[in-house]
Amino acid sequence: MSTAEPPLLEMRGIGKSFPGVVALQDVSLTVRQGEVVALLGENGAGKSTLINVLSGVFPGYDGTILIDGTPARIHTPTDAQRLGISTIHQELNLVPDMSVADNIWLGREQRDGIGLVNRRSTNASAKALLERVGLTINPRRPVRQFRVAEQQLIEVAKALSLNTRVLIMDEPTSALADAEVRRLFQVIRSLTADGVAIIYISHRIEELEELADSVNVLRDGRWIGARPMAGASRDELIRMMVGRSVADLPRRMPEGRPAEAGPRLRVRNLSLQGDSVSGRVALHHIDLDVHPGEIVGLAGLMGAGRTETLESIFGAFPARAVTGEILLDGKHYQPQSPKHAIDNGIVLVAEDRKQQSLVLGATVRFNTSLAALGRYLRWGWVRNRAERAAVVTEVRRLGVKTPSINTRISNLSGGNQQKVVLAKGLLTQPTVILLDEPTRGIDIGAKSEIYELVNELAAQGVAFLVASSELPELLRMSDRILVLCEGRVTAEMDAETADQEQILEAAMARTSVLAGDGGAA
Amino acid sequence: MTGTPPSRPKAPPGSTPENGGAVVPPAPGALRRALPLLGSLQGYIGLVLILIIGIWSQGDHFLSVENFTNAIGYFAPRGILAVGMTLVIIAAGIDLSVGALLAVGGTTAAWLLTEQNWPVVAIVPVCMLVCAVFGLVNGAGTALLKIQSFVMTLAMMTIARGIVREFSNNTSIGTVQIDAAGNVLPGSQQFQKLGTPGTSLFDVPILGYFPVLALVVVVIVFQLILSKTKFGRHIYAVGGNPTAARLSGVNVTAVTIAVFTISGMLAGLAGPINAAYNASADPVAGMGYELDAIAAVVIGGASLMGGRGSVVGTFIGALILTLLDNVLGLNQFSANWQMIIKGIIVILAVVIQRPELFSDLAAWLKRTFRREDGGAEATASATDPLAGDVKSPSEEVPDRDRAR
Repeated sequence: MSTAEPPLLEMRGIGKSFPGVVALQDVSLTVRQGEVVALLGENGAGKSTLINVLSGVFPGYDGTILIDGTPARIHTPTDAQRLGISTIHQELNLVPDMSVADNIWLGREQRDGIGLVNRRSTNASAKALLERVGLTINPRRPVRQFRVAEQQLIEVAKALSLNTRVLIMDEPTSALADAEVRRLFQVIRSLTADGVAIIYISHRIEELEELADSVNVLRDGRWIGARPMAGASRDELIRMMVGRSVADLPRRMPEGRPAEAGPRLRVRNLSLQGDSVSGRVALHHIDLDVHPGEIVGLAGLMGAGRTETLESIFGAFPARAVTGEILLDGKHYQPQSPKHAIDNGIVLVAEDRKQQSLVLGATVRFNTSLAALGRYLRWGWVRNRAERAAVVTEVRRLGVKTPSINTRISNLSGGNQQKVVLAKGLLTQPTVILLDEPTRGIDIGAKSEIYELVNELAAQGVAFLVASSELPELLRMSDRILVLCEGRVTAEMDAETADQEQILEAAMARTSVLAGDGGAA
Repeated sequence: MTGTPPSRPKAPPGSTPENGGAVVPPAPGALRRALPLLGSLQGYIGLVLILIIGIWSQGDHFLSVENFTNAIGYFAPRGILAVGMTLVIIAAGIDLSVGALLAVGGTTAAWLLTEQNWPVVAIVPVCMLVCAVFGLVNGAGTALLKIQSFVMTLAMMTIARGIVREFSNNTSIGTVQIDAAGNVLPGSQQFQKLGTPGTSLFDVPILGYFPVLALVVVVIVFQLILSKTKFGRHIYAVGGNPTAARLSGVNVTAVTIAVFTISGMLAGLAGPINAAYNASADPVAGMGYELDAIAAVVIGGASLMGGRGSVVGTFIGALILTLLDNVLGLNQFSANWQMIIKGIIVILAVVIQRPELFSDLAAWLKRTFRREDGGAEATASATDPLAGDVKSPSEEVPDRDRAR
């Protein structure tokens, strides 16, 4: 990097406080052309606040921002856009019912001579942009029809359509499977080759090792330090992040499980009809067993059918779309509805916390007891005392950090919200727990607490089926891993001996799938 | 996994680095704490204000039992509709058909009374049943056919109105029947007790008047159902996040059908009361009552987005509208002005209910105050970007100097 010219972006002494909380204090950051600068820190460390300052979300902040060495004011999102700063937020900003092309050009519609939107050029240019991010989709289809990972790539394409000099990406890979991560990294590299600077936020150090030129660590709203990525050790970065030394979280040590006891959950020949409108992936002849106390992982790329497998068992799909046989403790179980599943001791912790799991306008208490209300009834009335006691016990046991159980759930951090979702399931006293992306978008501390909790419950005999797009997580959590590809099981392996390459190979085993060989490797 | 004693002490509120950034921070200053509270109490405040104005302007007349009985009795049918509407709106629906169903109930009652000579005790439950069936259809259309409730109940409003007009041949049915000697028949006498001002079921002032009694009982029963039963919780869950409700084992279809059925059933109770009050069942009765009911629900703190509201709130909203009408009427305001003022009240009520309005206001006051101090405090303290828009960017300049 040339040091003679001023850096593309320089932030000096940036601070930001909210009523009662100083979110950011004296943070400085320098970004040069074509550089990938990583921001590392736990949830609440101030990463999001920093990028919100940069993208003009806040009208006011302390400190100075220099672009090309001259002071710049960023008080509105338009200011940021004018200065060539684009942000891809973790929560995507797309209009679900508008087409992909219209979303990309939203606010900058291409018009023809008489002022009407020019469909042809809109769609053609959108298609070209989408190809740059490796998406070959029809830009006329509404965004709603795509899964989260694809929508994210659409956002990248939208950012490309702006004259972006600094692209901020907030946890871009949190919803992506590994193959999509590769594709995203390729896109990022081609952007930096064109001179675009990237500010990259992630919890995943292994990604930063591959991608970043330098890494800045934030903790509690303060800038802790910067390291060139090449010389930084993982341990050192983690120590900077958490302020204490944490070795990589240990792998699960399987308990001596009773071999004689039959499986708690046995799935045979499970098939699901796909649905192109809702983007539901079809499943073909899935077989799996989960024993009491066992944690079985489901690996696979985006669209492999992990979520669909869990939701089929949970009864989330119309019964006519699902075929096959499911046995619970050897007894026949036909999934009918989520209510029926819960009555049978099965709970699902769904993929999308805010959309699928929580009533965000309601309190911690309301959300925690929602699925188990039937347990606290007397003469049809909810017994307040019993309900409150159960909620308090569960919330304490899981270490949910909340001022009170009557706090609105939307005021809690992601990790604590996820614990409430778990608490809601646990209050129904399940024997089978289906976890879909159990630690998505939450910090390392909360992650390790959730792993511990899962281990603890497994030791008490609960059977777990865990779907995750993070392979290290699956390897760490599970006893056994099933790999899915295009709705079929392509491999089954012991988590202790499996490695990421093996899993990826099976996850991309399209040829064997196409040959009709759906059996386990 | 259950019965584990709590091993961890409860975390101190919002004090940890993990959630420090995410938890909505406590607003400093008594003003900031007091203002949102004011927002949540606005219903009571509005009520007290109207009472004060009423007593101040028309003291003796306003406070008379007769006046209260008349005012509330006049509004009771709409209040009862509003209770059903509250459940529907909390479940994120809307029911536009209740005004038409009120006419169905009233005409059914009058027909059963005059043509079939049924006793009152049989008439009212049958009317409620008939209207509940219409409500059931509303619910089925919404929950099973996935028709938006606005559209479904709009269609039902037209259908029900058409049915009642056809059935009654476009004529109203008088409910006061007189025999040859000019005496009111005993059946009619009984029926009139459902709503005629000055009649009472038993010797208790105000509460003995059936419309008031019915409204109060309905309010108490449905408030208890809403806050104390599983069904009530499920209504909030369905309105708050239907997907989360379904995945938590709530039967969303059944809850949706149930709230519309209840709304219809309550219209079937309001119909005979309204007919008795007017001494006749008119096939065009209840036109626009659904809008009065929605207004009462909204003033009472419910959100049309669902998941929020209460029957008690609605009751206060209905009282505000009733007494407002009454006070304005006593002070010789024309009906036209009453409508204008009522509309303004609805808008004010909704604006005042936003807690962030008050915190934004407080933030703005604080900033203005600081500026007069000549202070260097330039950071916008409000989290809402809109709140900061009132501030000029030039404030940033001294800050910048200070930073370097």
